[in-house]
Order: sequence, then C-alpha cells, then structure tokens
Amino acid sequence: MKVEGEHLFSGTQQQVWDLFRDTEVMAAALPGTKKMELIGENTYEAVMNVRVGPVAGEFSGQLVISNEDHPKSYTMTVDGRGKPGFMKGVGDVILTDQGENQTLMAYTGEVQIGGKLAAVGQRLIDTVAKSIISQAFETLNNSLAERVTAEAEGREAEYQKSSESDYAASVAKDLIKNVLKRKDDEES
Amino acid sequence: MTYKVIGKRVKRVEDPRLLTGGALFVGDVNLPNMLHAAFFRSDYAHAKIKSIDTSRAKEIPGVVGVYTAEDMGEAWEPGPPLVSPPPTLEGVVFNSRRQVPLVKDKVKHAGEIIAVVVAESRYIAEDAVEEIWVDFEPLPAVTDLEKCLEQGHTLVHDDLDTNLAAHLVQKKGDYEEAKKGADLILKRKFKLDRGAAAALENRGIVVDWDQKNQHLMVWDATQSPIPIRNGMAARLGLRTHQVRVVAPFVGGGFGPKIMMFYAEEMVLPWLTMKLNRPVKWIEDRKENFYATTQEREQVQEVEMALTKEGKILGIKQKIIHDTGAFNPYGLTTPLNTQSHSMGAYDVQNYNSELFVVFTNKTIVTPVRGAGRPQGIYIVERMLDIASKELKLDPREIRRLNFIPKDAFPYNHEIIDQAFVELVLDSGNYLPAYEKALEKIEYDKFIKEEQPRLRAEGKYVGIGVVPFIETTGVGPYEGARVAVEPSGKISAATGVGTQGQSHMTSFAQIIAEELGVEVEDVSLVSGDTAEIHWGTGTFASRGAVVAGNAVLAAASDVRIKVLKLASKILETPEDELELEGGLVKVADIPDKSISLGELAVLANPFRGAVEPGTEPGLESTKYFGPAYGATAFGVHGMILEVDPATMMIKIHKYITVEDCGTMLNPLVVEGQIHGGVSMGIGNCYYEKLHYDDNGQLLNASLADYLIPTSAEMPPIEVYHENTPAPNNKLGTKGVGEAGAIPVPAAFAQALENALLEFDLEITETPLSPNRLYELLHKQED
Repeated sequence: MKVEGEHLFSGTQQQVWDLFRDTEVMAAALPGTKKMELIGENTYEAVMNVRVGPVAGEFSGQLVISNEDHPKSYTMTVDGRGKPGFMKGVGDVILTDQGENQTLMAYTGEVQIGGKLAAVGQRLIDTVAKSIISQAFETLNNSLAERVTAEAEGREAEYQKSSESDYAASVAKDLIKNVLKRKDDEES
Repeated sequence: MTYKVIGKRVKRVEDPRLLTGGALFVGDVNLPNMLHAAFFRSDYAHAKIKSIDTSRAKEIPGVVGVYTAEDMGEAWEPGPPLVSPPPTLEGVVFNSRRQVPLVKDKVKHAGEIIAVVVAESRYIAEDAVEEIWVDFEPLPAVTDLEKCLEQGHTLVHDDLDTNLAAHLVQKKGDYEEAKKGADLILKRKFKLDRGAAAALENRGIVVDWDQKNQHLMVWDATQSPIPIRNGMAARLGLRTHQVRVVAPFVGGGFGPKIMMFYAEEMVLPWLTMKLNRPVKWIEDRKENFYATTQEREQVQEVEMALTKEGKILGIKQKIIHDTGAFNPYGLTTPLNTQSHSMGAYDVQNYNSELFVVFTNKTIVTPVRGAGRPQGIYIVERMLDIASKELKLDPREIRRLNFIPKDAFPYNHEIIDQAFVELVLDSGNYLPAYEKALEKIEYDKFIKEEQPRLRAEGKYVGIGVVPFIETTGVGPYEGARVAVEPSGKISAATGVGTQGQSHMTSFAQIIAEELGVEVEDVSLVSGDTAEIHWGTGTFASRGAVVAGNAVLAAASDVRIKVLKLASKILETPEDELELEGGLVKVADIPDKSISLGELAVLANPFRGAVEPGTEPGLESTKYFGPAYGATAFGVHGMILEVDPATMMIKIHKYITVEDCGTMLNPLVVEGQIHGGVSMGIGNCYYEKLHYDDNGQLLNASLADYLIPTSAEMPPIEVYHENTPAPNNKLGTKGVGEAGAIPVPAAFAQALENALLEFDLEITETPLSPNRLYELLHKQED
C-alpha cells in the first residue's frame, strides 16, 4: 500500500524537525500510543493500540530514522507486529521552508500489511490510515504552536493529549465522508 | 433396461433428519471430559522462526498444554504423499514436498500452524493463542507463477534449487508437423485465478483415545474416512482395527475435504494419546480461508492450429500450475486440465508442457471441477476466438470438430489422473449440443431478441458451450449389503456423504435388486467400522464406482435369497420373484416367504450349516473400472450487462447433461444446480486476492463473494442418456459437471453482449471492476 501526503506546519524547518524527534510530543499526538521511547541511536520503540474497522489490538514495534539531512529530510522505517497482524513500511519525509514561519512536510512511503489487518481491514485501511495521519498532524501542529508560545512566554509547554475515542470518532467521520463523497461523485 | 426404482425421482430419505436437526455433524460431537484445541497460525506467508515463547499462554487458567513442533519429538513427520506422480508417464520431474503438523523452522504460507493450545474450552484456548509470541524473520514471498521459475528467485523450499514442483510433457500425434498445414495459428495467454471451495460446514475433528480398550475413535469432516483411518493407524503405530473413523453428515466437501492429512488431522490424534482425553477442534471461517486447500490458479499459453473451415489440426499448450506451498495431492489437478484441454473434440495433435510451481500460498488440491474447468475454458475460448478470426458461426466450428458418435471408445492417447490412458468410453455429443441450442432458442435470440434489446439500449448476449467430464475412475470401491432378521436391509459403503444423496440413490439400487421399499434400506456411508476397504468420495465417482459395488453386493444377496427360498418353497429359482419384501412364487400369490424369515433361517442357532456355505444373507463386493466413464454436457446462458455499473444479470440458464443412466434425476438436477452456482462464482464473484507478499486480502465472507439466490438464475436441466459401457448400471458421474463449463459459457456470452466493444476475454474470474478496466483498456 502506498501512502503519501503533505501537511503545512506553522513553524520553522528547525522547529518542525525538533517536533518530530520529540518522543513525548509524538506519543501524545499518535492515538492509542501507550509507550514510545528512544532505545538506541535513532531507534525508537513503541507500543500502540490500533483499530481498523472490526480489527483491533495492540501493536509493538520499532521506528528507525536514517538518511538524515538535517533539517530537510530523513527516512523512516517502521516495523510493527501485534495480535491483529503486522505492518512494515519505509517512507521519506521532506521538510520544505515555505517562508513566513511555514514549513511544508511531504511524506511518501510504501507500507506492507499482513494478517487480520490485511484480510479483514483491507477495505478500510486506506481511509483509516489517512485519517489517523491527518489528525496526528493537526495535533502536532497544535503542539508546535503551544511549544512556540510556551518558549516565548518562558514556561513549560503543555501538550494536548489525544484520546483514542476522539480519534475513533474522527476516523468514523472521515469514513462516512469518504463514502458520501464517492456518492456525490457518482451523482454529479 | 427398464427399472422400477432406479431412475425414479425418489425424494431424499436423508432430508427429514437433516431438516429437523437430527443429523450428526462433527460439531455435534461432545464427549465427557473433552478438551478443545486452538491453533497459533502464521500471519506471514514466508518467514523464518527465530524463537517461540509459549510461557504466558501456559499460565492461563484452564490451559492444559501448549505444544510446538519440538514437543512432538519423534511423532513429528510430514503428511504422506497422497497421490504419487503417474508411473506410466516418462520423463516426469516431481519434487515431493509435504505439509507438516507444526512448523519447525520456516513458514511457507500464511495460516500455517506453529503451535497448538489445548484447554478446557475453546474460549480459553483462543485467548491463550493470543498470548503466544513468535519471533519471525520475514522473507520475501514467492507469489508470481511465471517469475518464480527465474534463476535466483526466492525459494519456497530451501533444499530445492528451484520452485519447480513438477514438470512433464504429454504428446499426441505431431503438432509441429500438423501446424504446417494450418490456415490459422492462434496464440493466446490465459490467466485463471484462485477460488475457495467455501463449504457451508468448515472442517472439524474430534478424537478420543481409549486407553483401556487401546482404541482410537475419530469423527472427522472428511471425504475419505478409510484412508484417514489407515494413515492415522500408520502414523500412530496402531493396527487399523484399533482406529475407527466416522465421517458423519458432512456439510459439503467439494474436494478439499479429501486432502489428507491436514496439519490438524496430524496434531489432534497425537494430543488425545498424549493427554488421554478427547480433543475437539472445529475450523472457523477465517481459518478456512488460510488452511483449507484451494484451486484453479494457472497461467496458460495456448496455440491452436486450424484450417480455414475451422477444423482443429492441433493444440499446443504451456501450463504453469500453482500448487501452493506443498504438493501432497500430486498431479491430479493439472493432469485433469490436460485431459480436458481437447474438450469434446477430435484433436489429433496435442503437445502440452506442464510446469507445476511452489508458491507461498495455501496448498492447492482439487476443488469441484479439479482442473477440468481450466481445460474447458481454454479450448472453448480458443474456438470462440478462432470463429471470430475465421468469420465462422461459433456453432459451426463446434459441430465440425465434435468427436463423432462412431469413434467411441475414443483414445486421447494421454495419461489421465487415474494414471491410465485417457479413453473416452462413450458419447453422442452432437444431439445434446443441438438440444441445448434449441432449448435456449439460439436462432431466435440472435435474429430477433438481441437486435430488439440492443435497440432498447440493452447489452444482452448468449453463450453456449459443450464440455466433457472424465468421471468414475478407479481404483475401486466396496459395499456391504445384508438382510436383517426384521426384513429390512442394512448397507454400507466407504464413500462418505457430503450432500450427494448416497442414502437415497444407493438405496434405490438395493430396492430395485431385492424388491423392497427404498425406506426399508438403511445405508451407512463413511464409518470404517461398517466397511473396511475403500478410497473415498472424489472425482465424480460415487454413482459409478460405489454405485456398481452396491449393485454387485445386492445382486449377490439376491442370489443367496433365491437359493435359500428355492429350497424352502420347493420351487425352482427362475420361478421366484422378489417383491414387497417377499420372495413369491410366480402365479401362486399365497406361496411366499418374507426376506426377514429367510434371514433368520440363514443364521440358525442350532443344527449344522452345510460345509462351504456362509451364514446370513449378506455380501460384500467391490467394483473397479479399467478406465473412467466420460460424461458430456452443454451449458447455455443469456446474460445482460449494465454498462453503467458493469453488474451482470443472467436471464436464462439451460443445461443438457448426459451422465448415462441416472439413478435419481432429482439428485442429478440438484448436483447441477449446486455446480452451476459454484461456476457462476468462478465467473464473476469468487476470487481470492493475494498480494505480492502472499497475504490474502479478502479472507472473509464480507469480501469474498459467494453467489446468493439473488445472483442465481433459474436453471433448466435437460437430459440425454448414453449409458457407460463399462459398468452394469451404465452410470457416469455428474457431481462436478455443473461447475465445469460455466466460465467458458460466461465469457462467450459476455463478449456476445458487448459485441460492439470487440472485447476478448482471456481470464477468469472477472468482476465488475475488472470488466470496467478491460473495456476502458479497449478504449485507450
């Protein structure tokens, strides 16, 4: 499965770069993340709850960052397994300075999924993945704003923690939107 | 021959039990003290096992044990080679690799079993499976039939230097020479994809080792109880008489249930003997998609040489057949494809090269049709394409090439699945074909209906396709028939029942022979305690091989009855007749004796039995044909395509079947209906989607579509009768017939409906999406 997309962040290249390398921020932004820690150089270990339609369960795995070109690009390799199956992916992340304190993050990658996730979740995974990613980015962008503000105010940043149920609700909304959109396309 | 009972539309005697919940299925077997098994299966299609951790699973209360390959010790061995390659064929390459009970080192398809949990309930067992952790090293998967034979490709079996499971060439005449005289040489490539058998009842097995009696009792949803008994005894070091296998009512077999031994069938007997408690496992639907065998995936390159009149000069073929990760079932399926690639036609030159390949996918063994639909598909498609190229009527090209009536027995000169020369025993193809054209009103459709509907903007097409089905192959089957002291008849055969109406059809044969009512015959099929010898229910052979064994046993009982009655009634045997459960003296209504009384007299409690005689009115007989009985049929359909949605509606479906003598037309028609339903699935709905990593992407009945009543057209079934010359009943098989020609007829009808798009179909199954793609490819 191919994943690609982009998201505009309100911050400098360096700020966005730092944001993405902050495990605390990442863990807070990704729904269902139970644990995320740096276990070696550029290697993170994560445990996360995943729900795709009828398929749900805990995934654990590693995330490795490589090919770093600070602060412009890097490659991310994800390898996770759990009761509902497995996923394995490689992706490139490119940060482009858009000026005026704006940074465009573009990502492109290839993800393999297997087990129940592939067999039963196949029809939903595309929408679910996109929805999770876009929501995570939205949360991250808020975190970035908070971080920048806190820094200016000279206080500790307080990150908004995403709740799994909020995410589930948003994913469901996106799924319905997707179906309705298809219907509109057909009718128009 | 005129029959009183055989050939009558007798209602199925097994139905009241089945319809009122009174029939035993393996799932109904619940024993005191019984444990339940659940399996840890690999999500990966191809991966090395680095370590297995079962410690957390073992801690769960209610778990009795968790076992891996290592725990099996000496008892760990792969399944037996069920079918060897034909010894009658020369130059065959065959690399035998068989499935294992529990994977030791490397997973070769998703769904393979790595560990088994035994617990006090299935719930606990399933929960414990979730706690097992296996450290895998994932490997690239072998999935592409053509690429997997390239040098340096990833290997399914590391001890082989190739993914080639088998290679052979079959030749008839000299194709290269024949093609020199051709006006047209057609070349096409075909892709035939995988489907599931998807029986209503999944597999299941209950095993119970009785330590004190030193006896193993097994209930198994199998098509083949006697070989299962023999194999289990051999694996466990028991005598065959220490093992009893019962295949009770089975909710659909369709081929995969003759595979043996499935991993579960190797693990459970070991468990019951180890734990000394009964153990049960019933396959769930998700497991069924991964663990139960599948079929039909092939890539074929076909060349056909023809004269401008449409006469086939020869066929050249390269088949790449996917056997999945293992090949326990030998070459049965691809040999069937070869046997049917010349169809119902007089083809003098045939050159077929077969490559069987290992892939990281579920094992392939026969599924209803068993390689035959692929053969019929390519030969019928080639004739359709040829008729377009040569501007001939598709009917004319078939009429011209049919094997003529006086050419039977017709020797196709290749080796078939039974390892003997493919001899078509009998047939009369043209009249059945003409009958089908007449019943579907072909001329009227082409001349009147189609232009009228097209003018209304409707895309409606017709397809009519003939086919052969090799059936009723050996080696043999047996039957035991006995008159009870009550006058009722007990009978048994080793051919288990999965919905084929054995209890009715075989009872009709006995009723005919012994002059009793069908209801008075009680037939047990699929219990090794009732009959010791047999092979199983497969290859559309029940009515032929078991049917004639039943006839032989019943005839022998009749001889015994007449002999004893003649003595008692003091009347010559030829003046006696069997009717209404009595032996009567012709013309003297009062002078008679019942079968029950005779049975009692045949088994005296005191006195001397004459030397050289046997007690009772009982006989066990066997039947084995030299070669099979080949059935013929024609299917025709009229279908409509909705050009906006690409959805299909089949408006009319007719079949003409020639399966020789019909034991019971109701049963034959039921088989056809079921087969056609499966065939329609193979046309447009039932495709297993594997991705490049060997992951099955539609392993649920929400995504894998089985035709429902909404997709099924009304089916009209007509009959012809060319009795098989090599068996007394004259029967030919019909169990798989319904499924065989459907994709070929469908493709013809679809092309005909979309005539103006000049569509050429060379793959099956299609789907609305795929049809859309094909039509848009045309536009580009």
